[in-house]
Amino acid sequence: MKEYDVIIIGGGITGAGTARDCAMRGLRTLLIERHDLADGATGRNHGLLHSGARYAVTDRDSAAECIGENLILKKIAPTCVDDTGGFFITLPEDDLAYQSTFIESCRAAGIKAEAIDPVLALRMEPSLPHDITGAVKVPDASIDPFRLTTLNVLDASLHGAEILTYTEVTGFISSSGRILGVKLRDTRTGERFERRARITVNAAGIWGFRIAEMAGTRIAMFPAKGSLLIFGHRVSRMVINRCRKPANADILVPGDVVSVLGTTSTKIPFEECDGIRVTADEVNLLLEEGCRLVPALASTRVIRAYAGVRPLVASDDDPSGRSISRGIVLLDHETRDGIGGFITITGGKLTTYRLMAEMAADLVCRKIAVSKPCRTAERPLPGSEEHHVRHQNDSLGKKAAGNRFGLLTDKMDFASKSEVICECEHVTRAEIEYAVKFLDVHNMIDLRRRTRIGMGTCQGTFCMTRVATVLAETLGCPEKAPDFIREYVEERWKGCTPVCWGEGLREMEYMRKLYREK
Amino acid sequence: MQDTNISQNNFEQCLKCSLCTTVCPMMAANPHYPGPKQAGPDGERYRLKDPGFYDLTLKYCLNCKRCEVACPSGVRVGDIIQASRLKYGRLSRPLRDITLASTDFVGSLAVPFAPIVNGALSLPIVKIAMDAILKVDRHRTFPSYSRRKFTDIFEKDLPSQEGYKRYVSYFHGCYVNYNYPQLGVDFVTLMNACGYGVRLLDREKCCGVALISNGLGKQASENAAVNMASMRKALDGGSEAVLTSSSTCTFTMRDEYDHLLGIPNEDIRPHLMLAVKFIYDRIESGQISLAFKEMPGRLAYHTPCHMQKLGWTVYSTELLKMIPGLDLQILPQECCGISGTFGFKKENYPYSQKIGAKLFEAIRDSGAAAVITDCETCKWQIEMSSGYRVYNPITVLLNALDLEKTKMLNAE
Amino acid sequence: MKFDIIIIGGGLAGATAGVELLKKGRKCCIVSEGLSLHHTPMDEYLALGGTLLPGDSVIVGIWEEHRLKAVLTRNLGNTPLEADTFLLCTGKFFSKGLKATMDSIVEPIFGADVEFDPCRDRWYDSDFHAPQPFERFGVKTDAEGRVLIAGAPCENLIAAGEILAGEIDIIKSAKDVCRTLI
Repeated sequence: MKEYDVIIIGGGITGAGTARDCAMRGLRTLLIERHDLADGATGRNHGLLHSGARYAVTDRDSAAECIGENLILKKIAPTCVDDTGGFFITLPEDDLAYQSTFIESCRAAGIKAEAIDPVLALRMEPSLPHDITGAVKVPDASIDPFRLTTLNVLDASLHGAEILTYTEVTGFISSSGRILGVKLRDTRTGERFERRARITVNAAGIWGFRIAEMAGTRIAMFPAKGSLLIFGHRVSRMVINRCRKPANADILVPGDVVSVLGTTSTKIPFEECDGIRVTADEVNLLLEEGCRLVPALASTRVIRAYAGVRPLVASDDDPSGRSISRGIVLLDHETRDGIGGFITITGGKLTTYRLMAEMAADLVCRKIAVSKPCRTAERPLPGSEEHHVRHQNDSLGKKAAGNRFGLLTDKMDFASKSEVICECEHVTRAEIEYAVKFLDVHNMIDLRRRTRIGMGTCQGTFCMTRVATVLAETLGCPEKAPDFIREYVEERWKGCTPVCWGEGLREMEYMRKLYREK
Repeated sequence: MQDTNISQNNFEQCLKCSLCTTVCPMMAANPHYPGPKQAGPDGERYRLKDPGFYDLTLKYCLNCKRCEVACPSGVRVGDIIQASRLKYGRLSRPLRDITLASTDFVGSLAVPFAPIVNGALSLPIVKIAMDAILKVDRHRTFPSYSRRKFTDIFEKDLPSQEGYKRYVSYFHGCYVNYNYPQLGVDFVTLMNACGYGVRLLDREKCCGVALISNGLGKQASENAAVNMASMRKALDGGSEAVLTSSSTCTFTMRDEYDHLLGIPNEDIRPHLMLAVKFIYDRIESGQISLAFKEMPGRLAYHTPCHMQKLGWTVYSTELLKMIPGLDLQILPQECCGISGTFGFKKENYPYSQKIGAKLFEAIRDSGAAAVITDCETCKWQIEMSSGYRVYNPITVLLNALDLEKTKMLNAE
Repeated sequence: MKFDIIIIGGGLAGATAGVELLKKGRKCCIVSEGLSLHHTPMDEYLALGGTLLPGDSVIVGIWEEHRLKAVLTRNLGNTPLEADTFLLCTGKFFSKGLKATMDSIVEPIFGADVEFDPCRDRWYDSDFHAPQPFERFGVKTDAEGRVLIAGAPCENLIAAGEILAGEIDIIKSAKDVCRTLI
């Protein structure tokens, strides 16, 4: 049986980044994901590339980590990052004195923080409330976690890594207290098989708890649910934060052509981690607080609500679980639990994934006596090797694809496949076919993560049939189109129902009329 | 909270039902045009992120506003596209576009030399030269210029407008002033018979519709400011209303001034209308009476796109239905294809004719002797493309009146 | 502008009602926001000589006690549309016959009484394919189909089609209402 140097469990950004780093160092790498890439917390967060300012006051080390990675990602992943800049605003009900503490802490952590006169701030960002008493500009940015994960995985596979999605770990192969490999099950066919590796990496986010259990150890994890709202268009130019101790609903991020408002925090039991739903109370809270941040949100269409689970991990030296680590947690189970061949990389945030991956890959290499340096901070992700030039006369579909994929657009067949399929997001047949052929797409939900189909204001109402047809034809199974639609409309429905008023309810009525089967 | 949804021109209220797309005349004729939904609300979200996403195919939009009439959500689709063009678009052929759009300037130059100009514009060699150099399609016939401006005729030739108990002001527009003053004369005669004296505005400039669609927003705004000031003065000075005889001028000044140029006009808007609405409303309230002669015959009424957008077809048709003996055929609403200066441009001419084909066929099938419509550019297009004569409802009404009896009825 | 019957809403219910009433010799006017989706009944209505005001919406009613005398529309400005009878065929949420705020459902033209669940979480079913509670919301009427406002029936404002609460057969609803009118 083929043996790998490393098997990575978890196709979120951490696993993807680790796979890229390992593959770039020449390790024989296998990445396993039970659903699809970025299905967990990676696909359900705020899309915020932190400058670290938010943590500067209470956790200087985390903040310094953030700004370091922030600058690296802007360099290596420009097609994923929208360098909007951010404001931390003070409102009359906040303590303006906090602002100077905030600025000092930022500077001490190496984050460029500049106090801006409120009048000027309003000119720079017209969506701010008119009664702001203070504003601090920081290098926050917006990042697309789906594209980021996809491109890391693409780069990993270009360097020889193998990727298996829709494959779940059912157990470990072990001998004399050493993990030798994983027992797997293809969730679509039911087929069971095994793979072996010298080191197995647990990068499964909140589900890392179960993986660790299967391996015979415990990691103290505390699932914390966070809900967010997506608004129909880009209301602000910049990321907007409240300059106060972090609380609910005090960040608005301009994500591509939508605005994302978040977030909340509720501890939930493990059993509820799959299938979480946004509650009406959470929606009401987000809107009330959010309108204080950006008044226009009170009259902006909400197109979707979603929730993710933060994988909060205990600081390992306090197994009681009272202190939760905000930082990166790297566990070598050989030294910690006497279980060889198994490590866990968890905690951290989206912004610091590359550093987490570097730490994990460094440990893997140490354990198998490979000495190859990490190059992930220097080498751009696929599509970002050079600046992608946009021509004025290009079609809108090509421009939109260029915005998403940079130079990879050259591999898309715009000459003959330029029909626009998803009109809200200007996704053409060329882009869809590229994603299906090269980016591991098995259904419409996967396709949505690779391109932006169905992420616009109609949430797929308009384009579902067309996308399903193109997808099914490209996959060579045209008869599956109705199944794709059914699966996709059910997934979209989940995010529409918590915001079932105004235009949202009109859209839901329309969606039902078009796609209901009874 | 969330009780109202505010987005510019309501673009966020779009549910992507695509009804607008099914009624867009350009979509049916031109495969390069992505349609009102894509060009409008879809594109707007991307343009908000980065103006670099402005797409050049927006130049094909006719600004007919049929998309807005069709929208069940109240999205001002046409406005979104036009506003975007004003903001990000560029003139494709500056000399030609500015010339076509500057109707006041060209009209003032042409009228003193009307016979020469009219002669030249109908010469094949001149048309071929304009086609090659300016890219104005040689098939296009030009409306002839009048030897005298309407304002001149009003001052010197028409009966005195003193001594009336009630007054209206008349926005005559470029067509009446430079090309066809007879329509203006008909309007004055009709209003006088209804018991109203007519005043001209102190200062009147072209409504600016061609300036707007050719991207000359600044100049359009200057014209708008002049017109609005003149109208305010007229209304303050005792005119009951400012009346018009052109559906497009009316629509432009009532809606586009506010929506596209950001020029507020709520004080003027309720008092600025087509003559047909004014007359109809006052017949209903008993202030105007009309006495008719028999006028047997079949005439076909064509609803201009902007008339449908105003929602005022019913005023013209209800008035025409009062004419005894008239067999009025109301044609199903179709775009004639000219869209003002759009149809004069060589690159647009084939689309223009393709779009209007259905209307021309319907006119031929109607068996009517002539066509009635409120828009002068529709008139040019229909006369050129179908060979039928086209009349403004004001002219038809006037010709159907027993003038003396009407004057007597309204003198009381 | 006077008609026998003014039909508010030019969808399937409105156009169907218009055809039935025209065939019985009533002078009708349909006010429709947008252009009708249902071409066959609307084409027949127009061919029969019915008046259509497309792309227009009723703004407000002019009342005399519980009797609707006329309505004003956005496009017609101060020209009142008068009739003996008014049909409310404005449909559900898509066609804006009903409007949902974050915590209530209203009928936006006349403020008619609406049948709905006060708890927003119960407006929908999480299963996309299950019947949705919001699809059953609608205006309240008396046994004759007359719209209720503040509990009292309007003498001459009758509802037909999806604006009604419950599960509705649109064409049957429109034809039934016409039968009671004629």
